[in-house]
Amino acid sequence: MALSLRSAFRKTWQTLSSIKTGVVLIILVVIFSAAGTVILQRPITDPDDLQRAYSPGMLRFLDATGLSDVFHARWFIALMILVSLSIIAASVQRFPNAWRYFARPYKSPDEGFRRVLPVQAQIPIRDEEQGLGAAERALHHYGFKSERIVRTDSFSLFSEKHRISEMAVYIVHASLLLIFLGGIVDALYGWRGFVMLSPGTSSNHIELKNGSTRALPFSIRCDATGEETYSDGTPKKWWSKLAIVDNGSDALRKEIVVNDPLVYQGVRFYQASYGRTGKLDQLVLTATPADGKGAAQDITLKMDQIVSLDADTKVQVAEFIPDFVVQDGHVYARSNDVVNPAVHLIVSSAKANRVVNVWLPEISGIAENASSPYTFQPKDLKTELFTGLEVSHEPGQWEVWAGVILMAIGLTFVFYVVHTRFWVVPVQDARGQLTLWVGGSVNRNRDAFEATFKKVVEQIQSELKPVSAAAEEKAAASIAR
Amino acid sequence: MARARAEQQPATGTTLIVMVGLGIAFLLFMAFLNVVKSGNLLNEANLLYAALIFYAGAGALYLGFGVTGTDSYIKFASLATWAGLVANTGAVAHRWYEAGHPPFASLYEMLLSFVWTLAALTLIAEKRYGVKVIGTVTMPVAIVGVVLMQLLRSEVRPLVPALQSTWLHVHVTLAMLAYAACALSFALAMMFLIQDKVKTEVFLAATSIFTVGIYAAILTRFERWGGFNVVAWDAENKTEVFLSRGVRLFVTIPDLGWLMLLVFAAVASPLVLYILARVRKNEGFLNVANRAVFISILLQTLALVFFLLRARDGSYPSLDAEGLYPTALAASPFILSALVGGIFANLLYLLLLWRREDLERLLPDAENLDRITYKTICIAFPLLTLMIAAGAYWANRAWGSYWNWDPKETWAAITWLVYAGYLHMRITRGWRGRRAAYFAILGFAVVMFTFFGVTYLLPGLHAYA
Repeated sequence: MALSLRSAFRKTWQTLSSIKTGVVLIILVVIFSAAGTVILQRPITDPDDLQRAYSPGMLRFLDATGLSDVFHARWFIALMILVSLSIIAASVQRFPNAWRYFARPYKSPDEGFRRVLPVQAQIPIRDEEQGLGAAERALHHYGFKSERIVRTDSFSLFSEKHRISEMAVYIVHASLLLIFLGGIVDALYGWRGFVMLSPGTSSNHIELKNGSTRALPFSIRCDATGEETYSDGTPKKWWSKLAIVDNGSDALRKEIVVNDPLVYQGVRFYQASYGRTGKLDQLVLTATPADGKGAAQDITLKMDQIVSLDADTKVQVAEFIPDFVVQDGHVYARSNDVVNPAVHLIVSSAKANRVVNVWLPEISGIAENASSPYTFQPKDLKTELFTGLEVSHEPGQWEVWAGVILMAIGLTFVFYVVHTRFWVVPVQDARGQLTLWVGGSVNRNRDAFEATFKKVVEQIQSELKPVSAAAEEKAAASIAR
Repeated sequence: MARARAEQQPATGTTLIVMVGLGIAFLLFMAFLNVVKSGNLLNEANLLYAALIFYAGAGALYLGFGVTGTDSYIKFASLATWAGLVANTGAVAHRWYEAGHPPFASLYEMLLSFVWTLAALTLIAEKRYGVKVIGTVTMPVAIVGVVLMQLLRSEVRPLVPALQSTWLHVHVTLAMLAYAACALSFALAMMFLIQDKVKTEVFLAATSIFTVGIYAAILTRFERWGGFNVVAWDAENKTEVFLSRGVRLFVTIPDLGWLMLLVFAAVASPLVLYILARVRKNEGFLNVANRAVFISILLQTLALVFFLLRARDGSYPSLDAEGLYPTALAASPFILSALVGGIFANLLYLLLLWRREDLERLLPDAENLDRITYKTICIAFPLLTLMIAAGAYWANRAWGSYWNWDPKETWAAITWLVYAGYLHMRITRGWRGRRAAYFAILGFAVVMFTFFGVTYLLPGLHAYA
């Protein structure tokens, strides 16, 4: 039983690590991701739009299979996990071999290796030392350091460059896993939400995407917000001056704009939207005395602020309704958009001990505009600004960026750094002539290497010539003496 | 038979060159009119026209080289490409100066950069790798790009806040470089297939399927009584007319649908004949099929001309609203490029059919092409990776999330996966030659879908691009 379990495990492992499985998984990911871009997706699309686009039966099917929210469906996540496992299995299975190759480089080639190596050359030499010395100089000429390998029965040269290239694929795979890990961490511990602030207000409650609320251990305060537009009216810049209030004091202040968020304790605040609330910021009115005696004056009113019109009369804003509707003698707000505003003013006179309810515009039945000592003309109305802040906490993003950088490095090694090796061994050829066997190998880009190899061999030959010529001269000289 | 065909060749070749030459003359005339109208020689539109004319000239000469094998053509074609590149660089610089940001913010600006990159890469491929006839494929693509640019909104529009980021420029630059490298690998893979002795009739089938696909897509706009639907165009605001959010208003051009249907039958006939030849094992059908291709090119040109005449401007009734609504070519850039693309693909097939031996003589050998294809993908893949990373980083700064699974992102990831698949098959399974070439072609098809298809067919955050 245990044995069969083990064999089942081994079989699963083998299946997972095979390139075929990898390709099948890639194809599946491609198909389902593509489906996720063609079928309208749940969280982004309006539910009404979904109902318009698909029949009820179809929609039920899509919801049941998760096709209406592919990228958050369990089976898609399972698929991604399978991809990760496949990458891990494939890497683990191939890694030991590559590591052996990396950690214990093959330095002195045996006869079998020498016979089958595709890139090789043989140069006749007179003695071992002369040949190896020439090879050493030639390799040095082309920027290769070489080391002498001394074995009990042989004496050879080994030279290499960029051994790290053998590890490059694993670097890329590891980086991909690191990115996945970051994604998983974010899916588990990250959150995204929204907070709306008017200048002067602060909050520590974030409305999350899933509808719940999250309380932060610190609060965020908006000091000011604004918009700059191009001459044609399209928005150019939205900005907000924010401050983090932690333990009662301002811990951090920053003016944020789109593309430049504020970050505090891993929580990031983005400028997402900007606009006006339905709340009154300030109202400018022209007040004219009803009896015609005295000049008209402009007054600026804010909520709950009392302004004196003369020594006796005061006015204040009691209510501001951005979009009003009258029903059964009552005034109601229909929406928070400033499309049909109404203002309720209270004009009080101390001497007469009288209070008059003034409505702008005059709403019959409840307004007492006629008995007011002043008539009012609205001149300017400003509602409160708000800044919409997207808030996110992505603890996994550092893994993601680290993974991206690692992948860039890995890919550079994979494509542009070649592990190049040279072996030089003095051997006796079949006729007993002493020759220098030169072999070379690369892990990619062999065509370019063949040219380099040829040049190195030529260099060795040219290094050999003057030496042998000089040696002959010397020999001749010694004979002459 | 073969000899008879050989004698036929020069005449047809000349006809082709004369036709292209007349086209250039026409464009020159248009450019002249434009200069007279604007009174300004060195503005962006004129530079672009100059680039278009030079590219067209280069394309014609490359085609001429492909047809006749006259080596001197290639020298002039290179020169014309250089001249086009200079004018194109001028247009890019002008745009950059005028807009105050690198030209990557709209589809128009991205096409401008794409064409520039394509021309530059063509020259590099030619000079450095000796792939002389590459211009035969890339120059027509550049021409289509420039023509498409004439239709798209070109005025400099201020950047909305989300687009004001250096990372965006990094992202789009990388995208353009990566896509241009993918385009090059596609062209090289095609050439490899030619050198790899893939039978000419296989190209016939592929071209026919491609063209049939184009006309099938076009016929989705077929309306009752032979009408043909195009999007209504608001000339004043230079925008499509929308009935409600995301729902475009279509107008029906009467009778044009019949013509499209006729052309569909014409482009389907070579495919049918090819299938007959395969099923009946009768080579005779193939000769008929080749003639049918010729006829289909004529009919396709007719369809293009009629489409240009009727959709260029004019008001037509709509099924969804009362009254007449105007339309313009700018409202249908994809139909237009599809029509041009179909003709172009069929012309390339004719070139192959008539001049295969010359092409084989002039192209680098199969092994070399295979290697260069792989090398271009080795360049494209890291660029794609960095493009996605830069995009993610930008999204993280602008929207607070590095990955949103919006369609453009998803398709970029799919492109990446396809090329990753290619590399795995090549490196671990030793896929060489044909299978690798087919893979490279598939990769480029996905790239094209990501670039064009997603923008116009699928909704998402990438509304600007």
